[in-house]
Amino acid sequence: MPNLLTLFLIFLKVNLLSTSGPASVGLLYHEVVGKFVTEGQFVQAVGFSSVLPGSDALQLAMYIGYAVGGIPGGLVSLLASILPPTIIILGVTMILHRLRREAWISSFVEGLTPAISVLMVFTAWKIFQKGGSEGWEAWAIGLVSMAGMLSKRVPERIVIIIAGLIGVLFLT
Amino acid sequence: MTGVAVPKFIVWLKLLWMFLKVNILSPSGPASIGLLYKEAVSKEVMTEAQFVEAVGFSNVLPGSEALKLAMFVGYAAGGLPGVFTALLGAILPPTVMMLLVAAVLQRFQHSDWIGGFVAGMSPAVAALIVVVAWELFRATSPRGMDRRAVLIAVLSAAAFWFELPSPLVLLGAGFLGVLLYGQRSYG
Repeated sequence: MPNLLTLFLIFLKVNLLSTSGPASVGLLYHEVVGKFVTEGQFVQAVGFSSVLPGSDALQLAMYIGYAVGGIPGGLVSLLASILPPTIIILGVTMILHRLRREAWISSFVEGLTPAISVLMVFTAWKIFQKGGSEGWEAWAIGLVSMAGMLSKRVPERIVIIIAGLIGVLFLT
Repeated sequence: MTGVAVPKFIVWLKLLWMFLKVNILSPSGPASIGLLYKEAVSKEVMTEAQFVEAVGFSNVLPGSEALKLAMFVGYAAGGLPGVFTALLGAILPPTVMMLLVAAVLQRFQHSDWIGGFVAGMSPAVAALIVVVAWELFRATSPRGMDRRAVLIAVLSAAAFWFELPSPLVLLGAGFLGVLLYGQRSYG
């Protein structure tokens, strides 16, 4: 099953190059959209993984894995996402005293973070453009959602569900 | 942990329950930190200082931060078996839920309403990604705008614009970080 192996390698790579769950979205987009899943499926994956409780990154990985190869695909992506942090943590807890915060690895991550943020913005723009409708409705939904999330008064998952329902009502 | 009076499997069960609870109740990885803090520090699994150190390391090392934090707490509570118990508790709830949702969604993939739902969700998802990207960027330079972070951001924006492969750009940004930030210490 070459597909499962490819899937495994992609998630290994994504999890080695991103520092946190949400940050993996940009990189993952470039790796899987067009090859394994459609734009619409990716949006569903991101949307539902922020809606459901539990780690976003794992859910995103499993959704993509499932879309590619059913249950085995979901489990392979899960495994590949868990492996890098697990091995690293096991290593770090063993040599915790030697690896202090001034280690070069923290500078590496510090350099990585702005690039990841930029990549995420590029990804967001692509998702927005190909999301189906690019008219004023989409801009309105996007801007209102952003205001809602930035205000911190509305939980992000509620914003996403409402946006989806508005889509069902007005954009179908 | 004294580890003398309490049988080990009780510790593991408590740990498993703690992580199941945290992962069912929190909507996302970063959101789980607050809840985990209450559980881990108030039940004296680890001290406040240990927790802060664990959060720091989770942010610095690659991979999902919620998982790394879970493993640090698990290690503090019960050594290596604690790590695997915490991992299991953190993985189980999202796995079960996501596989269910994925299975249901695949079935409705060609219905009209799913198209509308995705069309409505896309702008909101794009907004979410931008918001998270902004928070991530701000977290790197807490004391105002860091010129080096801006430089790396501009350079990588140019690289992505010219469609260089993204893993390469990220690696390059990391090495640039090592050059620019060097062996800086964090008081």
